[in-house]
Amino acid sequence: MDFIKIVDALIAALYFCGAVVHVAGAVAGRKKALRAGAAMTLCGFGMHTGVLCVLLAVQFGTELTRSDFYFSLLAWSLLLIFFLLWWRLSASFLGLVAAPLALILFLSSMTLGGSRLPLPPALSGLFFGLHIGALFAAIGLLAMAGVAGAAYIVIEHKIKTKEKLSGFFKTLPPLSTFDKMNRLAVSAGFPLYTLGLISGFIWAGFTWGKTFSWDPKEIAAIFIWLLYAFLFHQRVMIGWQGRKTAWMVIWVFGLTIASMLGINFLLPTHHSFKS
Amino acid sequence: MQYEICLIGLNHRTAGVEIRELFAVKDSRALEERLLAAPGVREAMVVSTCNRVEVLGVGRAGVDLAQVAAAAWAGHCGRTPVELTPHLYVHANLAAVHHLFCVASSLDSMVLGEPQILGQIKQAYRAAVENGSTRVIVNRMLHKAFSVAKRVRTETGIGASAVSISYAAVELAKRIFGDMRGKTAMLIGAGEMAELAAAHLQSAGISGILVANRTYERAVELAKRFSGRAVSFAELLTRLPEVDIVISSTGSPTAIIRARDVKEILRKRRNRPMFFIDIAVPRDIDPDINSLDNVYLYDIDDLKEIVEENLAQRQEEAAKAAEIVDLEAGKFRHWLTSLDLQPTIVDLLSFGENVAKRELKKTLRRLGPDVSPETEQALETLVLSISRKLYHEPLVFLKRRAREEQSADKFIDLARRMFNLDVEAVPGDAHRDRVGANEAGDDELGDDELDPFGGEDCAGGIPADEPAAAPAAPVTPNGPTGPTGPAGEDGRD
Repeated sequence: MDFIKIVDALIAALYFCGAVVHVAGAVAGRKKALRAGAAMTLCGFGMHTGVLCVLLAVQFGTELTRSDFYFSLLAWSLLLIFFLLWWRLSASFLGLVAAPLALILFLSSMTLGGSRLPLPPALSGLFFGLHIGALFAAIGLLAMAGVAGAAYIVIEHKIKTKEKLSGFFKTLPPLSTFDKMNRLAVSAGFPLYTLGLISGFIWAGFTWGKTFSWDPKEIAAIFIWLLYAFLFHQRVMIGWQGRKTAWMVIWVFGLTIASMLGINFLLPTHHSFKS
Repeated sequence: MQYEICLIGLNHRTAGVEIRELFAVKDSRALEERLLAAPGVREAMVVSTCNRVEVLGVGRAGVDLAQVAAAAWAGHCGRTPVELTPHLYVHANLAAVHHLFCVASSLDSMVLGEPQILGQIKQAYRAAVENGSTRVIVNRMLHKAFSVAKRVRTETGIGASAVSISYAAVELAKRIFGDMRGKTAMLIGAGEMAELAAAHLQSAGISGILVANRTYERAVELAKRFSGRAVSFAELLTRLPEVDIVISSTGSPTAIIRARDVKEILRKRRNRPMFFIDIAVPRDIDPDINSLDNVYLYDIDDLKEIVEENLAQRQEEAAKAAEIVDLEAGKFRHWLTSLDLQPTIVDLLSFGENVAKRELKKTLRRLGPDVSPETEQALETLVLSISRKLYHEPLVFLKRRAREEQSADKFIDLARRMFNLDVEAVPGDAHRDRVGANEAGDDELGDDELDPFGGEDCAGGIPADEPAAAPAAPVTPNGPTGPTGPAGEDGRD
């Protein structure tokens, strides 16, 4: 698949330029650079979508067992959510994080290159697809809300302590926008996360005959789910908002990333991306 | 140079308010006409606001314009020039251009960077154009001044942050809530600053305003002004859960809103954020509530501090702005040196156009009513383009002479005599297209860039003194023109 490799390099280059130009534009306060960076990222995103579709269409079975494919997919879903949020909430500052994050994930997908998941051939496509898709969407939302939460905490602290908002902070959206993102990540992200988790267990039940096998990642996922459920309850039922929910989303996101990277690469698990 | 520019004026620095009152020009048109009637004066424009009067004149070289203008101005106000001159500043030629640019960019204002002055100059200029008292030089000067002001505003942060307490409070509310639509504010007690803040909130698009006051009648009256609802003081706490922004300014000696009340209210609101602005001394609101989540409290000192910081920042930005003004004034000098030619070109072209239009009218009359609009249009284009092309070569010749020789006076003079330009009156609509351009410029300078209340240059003090300086501000609920209040009818500077 040399052609795919060339396209991959091109996408990486576009993401790289997009991220650099976008961040530089934000720091220098140049609107044109901001937009140009976003446009480059969008271009890369379009090609990325194409590549993923081609890979899926051409080699449906085998691609689903490649770990680089999942990192690539994660980068893609992050960007998708970033563009959707940008469009809906005009929260352009998300690009500051989304573009570089997508670049890193995409690059790691390229360097991982072709190691296989130890997947049995009997793939129960629907549940596996649900497992991956829902979880990645939830992680994408969490990532956005995590960044928004950090911004919320900093700005809220500044307003509370009557510190002047200057320079970069002045260009950021109001507190209410960050809280809206948090609400989205909680009210939409939690059901998605739950769906991802349940479909994973069902799939495991089909494939391995055991729904729960005390895998470190499964334990971590349950723990995160409990935390997430608490956050969901407090936010949706009790009406928490603001600083506390911002902190909690940061925790949930941080733990998710830690479990994804840390456990996958360090502990023995059947979720490992290494062969 | 064939013409001289002169600008005389007085402002809040050179003259006290009594003097400014004496020499305020209510009818600028009359003064412009009085000036133009003086021998050798070709153009005149008057800007009069409560903080400054500027009289701009252009006349033939050799005329003591400053004296002529001062005499006309003093005469207009029924005074003698002796009373006026000690308070005047006089700028000639480039200095006048520089000064005008500074004024338009609000570098000369009492509140640095306030945006009203530009609008006031635009208004004065429009009136002068309608009056027919401006020509090439003033037109060009003013258009340049507007573009310089715009550059200053977009390229420096001189107008970026709020410099009045009430506006700073609204800016903060926007930082917290974002959009003001769907939000409700409550005024507790009535005070000038609270009312001003309410007017700002209203122009920011707030949905509802509640007014609570110890005397219910006063509350009703205020509520009417902001098309809000009056609330009796007793039910204040029960209404708070529906309120997002509280502006408190009662004379109460003790706190009227306590932390434990707010805790309860927050629970009822499901933690939706609340912003308390306490501008009363002694304070009305328990300072402890600032430690509650989703509650923000700013008192008068906090707001004052913000305003002072912003003012200091404007000072810094003013240095940048001054550079822009210097640069643009330098550019204007180039134009001035080629200036002697400009009126001749304009006169020559309009002379040709007038002839062409006259002939066109005759021809059309002869052709009768059957001529289609297309034909009429084509004919007009034809005659106008012939008239322009005919003058093309002479104009190129004149321009080249003006560039190559130190003085092209004799050629310009020759051309004027050849075409009898000095007898022919300049047509009344010679400046028409320029007026259009000015209005377009107006729209570009969108209101959102401007802090409609930040300036308050007319308030006669630093903005922190807003309420004191505005003893009876008639705050009207409809928008930026509302709280013009303090200084009254003849506009703000």
